[in-house]
Amino acid sequence: MTNIVVLVKQVPDTYSERKLNESDHTLDRESADAVIDEINERAVEEALKIKEAGEGEVTVLCVGPDRATDAIRKALSMGADKAVHVSDEALQGSDMVATAKVIAGALGKVDGYDLVIAGNEASDGRGGAIPAMLAEILGVPQLTHARELSLEGTTLKVDRETEDGVTHLEANLPAVVSVTEKINEPRYPSFKGIMAAKKKPVETLTVADLGVDAGELGLSGAAATVLEAAPKPPRAAGERVEDDGDGGTKVVEYLAGQKLI
Amino acid sequence: MVGFTESEERQALRQAVSELAHKYGHEYYTGKARGGGKTDELWDEAGALGYLGVSVPEEYGGGGGGIGDLAAVCEEFCAAGTPMLLMVVSPAICATVIARYGTDEQRARWLPGFADGSVRMAFGITEPDAGSNSHRITTTAARDGEDWILNGRKVFVSGVDEADAVLIVGRTTDARTGKLKPALFVVPTDTPGFEYKEIPMDLVSADKQFGLFLDDVRLPADALVGSEDAALAQLFAGLNPERIMSAAFSVGIARYALDKAAAYAKDRNVWGAPIGSHQGIAHPLAEVKIETELAKLMGQKAAALYDAGDDHGAGEAANMAKYAAAEAATRTVDQAVQTHGGNGLASEYGLGTLLGAVRVGRIAPVSREMVLNFVAQHSLGLPKSY
Repeated sequence: MTNIVVLVKQVPDTYSERKLNESDHTLDRESADAVIDEINERAVEEALKIKEAGEGEVTVLCVGPDRATDAIRKALSMGADKAVHVSDEALQGSDMVATAKVIAGALGKVDGYDLVIAGNEASDGRGGAIPAMLAEILGVPQLTHARELSLEGTTLKVDRETEDGVTHLEANLPAVVSVTEKINEPRYPSFKGIMAAKKKPVETLTVADLGVDAGELGLSGAAATVLEAAPKPPRAAGERVEDDGDGGTKVVEYLAGQKLI
Repeated sequence: MVGFTESEERQALRQAVSELAHKYGHEYYTGKARGGGKTDELWDEAGALGYLGVSVPEEYGGGGGGIGDLAAVCEEFCAAGTPMLLMVVSPAICATVIARYGTDEQRARWLPGFADGSVRMAFGITEPDAGSNSHRITTTAARDGEDWILNGRKVFVSGVDEADAVLIVGRTTDARTGKLKPALFVVPTDTPGFEYKEIPMDLVSADKQFGLFLDDVRLPADALVGSEDAALAQLFAGLNPERIMSAAFSVGIARYALDKAAAYAKDRNVWGAPIGSHQGIAHPLAEVKIETELAKLMGQKAAALYDAGDDHGAGEAANMAKYAAAEAATRTVDQAVQTHGGNGLASEYGLGTLLGAVRVGRIAPVSREMVLNFVAQHSLGLPKSY
């Protein structure tokens, strides 16, 4: 039986206007609708596929405020079996290193994990380093940016795709995998899944349960500080091509100048 | 529903249905409707996810929810621009009647298919000469040994070409009194003597309308749903869900149109400000928003009463919801078109297709005038009109 843990993060909906708090430059959670990060739905889907192909149990692990239960419930309604939710005011403003330590601590509460599946990066912070940091702390192999994943026995094979090309990786469990959006199309929760989700066990933990040094957590424990933040300037006006019979040529010249063709 | 907030599960169901429906979208729907195609892909995917079978009992593979859940599903499909008319009929009327009144064999045969959407059943009640007067229904079943022989005509039956069977409202002769009384029969669409012909309609709908011809249609004894004596109660058990679903259908289309209108009014800028900043545009949209929300609330009340087992109480609320939702949807689509100006009737904006669809809600499944008669007589105690 493969014991799979899927990391799930609740993020501001990318369709809404996302903002930072003016005072401390942390995420303004009130300004936007909170949803499960889409890449996490793919991570859940991949875990469910492994479970359905053989035997396994899927645990959702989420670090976030109380209302992140909505993201957890979405994952449970898709078919995950249970969840661990780390919720603590002290975590507000934590950096990636601290977050990875908290996740590693929470994994210690899951009875013998074999495989951790995460998204390759969250759509809010976009750091993309948590899976690698987590694997480092746990001392297990990291197989990041997976566009394809297969598991035979305890051997994990991953096609890792980055801008530079595709690498074929292999490792033994336990391991940490991060998936890209090419990995699969996540399922919609069935009505039965939705009805069952509320009855599935969710263990809620605080920092005190994890054996993590509280001094490293939160905004004050963060290694880096955001000093200033400004919204992206609006896109500059484009170049207008007047067509005097040679419009096509001018467009091609422009595109060639931008090295787009 | 307790109080005025839907359960977390109902809200999650709405969200899931909405996401699925938006994957298809209104262009998918109009493409099918205009090209003579069916919304099979969407229907099948929704069925496999259990969205069409939410109200089928769990023991037959359904979701074990209520008509309120099914109405929420219907509303969300419509709100995403993918209205599936057969939802009002197949899972709402037919599955409900069979679940409540069918024999064990009938339940075992049909309900698992309703649960996953693999069975589609149309509903035939209206007749050319009877209209809304169900006492004048002339489709008659006569005994021939164990079998039934069914003869008659039906009109405006939705989706017969997609259906495995049609639930036909007919009449049988009462052995004691000799009077005719209503009876419901499941007629598979491939039964000899059963023919159907499309009625050309000026509607953009993937689900077509048909006239039925039943000439000496021989049916086995178990084609009669439930008991011969309980048919009137059975009929009303199906008609309340039909009105609740019809209300949800109208509310969903109104939401779709209102979303489009509000987005356009925020974006469209001709005199240096979005047109939505002008009260001539904003107030009519606010009005139809209010009317739509009120109609939705009455639909939720009707569903809550029905799901609580109060058929009688649900009847009044379901009629009022159906009426209010159709009026609201007709006004909303009209106002959404008006907000868009010429674009409101341009195919690209996906609104003109709905003008006919919402108009249907004022006529079917029962006309607004018949609802007004019902309210006048039953809610106000005024003298009976018909």
